[in-house]
Amino acid sequence: MRALAIVMALGSTAAADIRWDRMEDRIQGGGFLHYEVSALHAIDDDPARMPGLREADDQLLAGVRMGAVLGAGAHVGYYVALDLLAGSTLGDRGFAYDVALLPVGIATRFGATGMVAVATGIGANGAVDTIDDAAIVPIQTTVELGRGIRLLGRARFSYVLGAANRQSGAPAIPFADEFDAMLGVRLGRSYRKFGFPSGNGYFLAVSYREQLGTRFVGATIGYSLDAALPRRFIDDEKRHREDNRRRRRKR
Amino acid sequence: MKALVALALTGCVIAKRDVVMPDNHETTVALLTGGLVQPMNDIARHPWFAVRKKGEVEWKVYEVPFLGVERDPFREHAPYVDPILHKVWRGADADRAAACLEREAGPWVKRLEYRFYPGPNSNTFGAMMLRACKLSASLPATAIGKDWRGLVGVGLTTERTGVELMTALAGIRIGLKEGFSIHVLGLEFGIDLWPPALIVPLGPGRIGFADR
Repeated sequence: MRALAIVMALGSTAAADIRWDRMEDRIQGGGFLHYEVSALHAIDDDPARMPGLREADDQLLAGVRMGAVLGAGAHVGYYVALDLLAGSTLGDRGFAYDVALLPVGIATRFGATGMVAVATGIGANGAVDTIDDAAIVPIQTTVELGRGIRLLGRARFSYVLGAANRQSGAPAIPFADEFDAMLGVRLGRSYRKFGFPSGNGYFLAVSYREQLGTRFVGATIGYSLDAALPRRFIDDEKRHREDNRRRRRKR
Repeated sequence: MKALVALALTGCVIAKRDVVMPDNHETTVALLTGGLVQPMNDIARHPWFAVRKKGEVEWKVYEVPFLGVERDPFREHAPYVDPILHKVWRGADADRAAACLEREAGPWVKRLEYRFYPGPNSNTFGAMMLRACKLSASLPATAIGKDWRGLVGVGLTTERTGVELMTALAGIRIGLKEGFSIHVLGLEFGIDLWPPALIVPLGPGRIGFADR
């Protein structure tokens, strides 16, 4: 029995090694991290759209957004993202938050560290006394293109669970309850350290949100960082696999 | 507006301490931090203590993972970039600090079960040595891991003029000199009372006057 257990353990370790080696041959990906502050101001003034609530004319949110793509090929991969923001509805001083985990996504890579991704998951947002707390199901598109100078974009359609007064709250988007977007440019630097492409720098963006039947416009400033494993295309992959095999034989 | 422009032009920190080696007429202990290699240079810093006894030429450097000897750990401490000199102790204070670092640093580094994020890491080492040796100084907000006290920890701040409650995910600090700050997932925000500055998790970790 003990012998069988040892054989199974050794067998599974060897199999895991082979699986890991194969994965090591193929795995590639990249990611980004934003630190950002967004200030939004309501451009609609129609209290009837927000019955029973004080108007949240201004929103200030600060926090982190991050996303990563991981895949076996150089072009398409699995994508996951996390948004963690907190702040206030300024005039009414209510604590506000906006968090989301988007574990179901797909991304196409462009250039050394660029990507266009679509993801969904679960989130929550709200603000004390002004925006009812609710869970949301967001569908988020993220665009990150370029190296040092980089185009940064994000569009999120949200479906609100609960919070009846937040349903159908996007005047221009009939198929979602809420919408928010950002489009900006990073003026930064790109690097290639130890063979890994990366970049960082500050960015400025315009922000737009539709929530509670109100349109908000504002600006986002932030810091963005990106890094990736070098993309390996088919020829590179073959060469890389052969190199790895040779290395293993030497071991 | 003019003040904001001035701050932007000076790289967010006013009255920075010059990063120069003091003379060796008396024992010196210095606390420095440097940015990690690009592209992490603006979001994460790493600390080291440089110690030189009276009359000596070389500096003993205490940091994670190495404890070594260097000629100029103020300007040349690869691979770290943009060094900041946070505090210098001289004379009797430095003699006492040097003896304490000699005693405490080695065993702590040997015991360390390193975890890059959220800690314990090199910044946890910096904060622990400040506490163990009763050296009053603060590490910058971008020294991620400095607030690691295990799952939950309460105690005096490293400046020793305030108190802090830290957990692995979030924490709060309040003090006469430190002002008020919170950290969430290693990102610290707050207001430093002296020298006055906003605490932010980017670059040198503050917008305002340099810490000293």
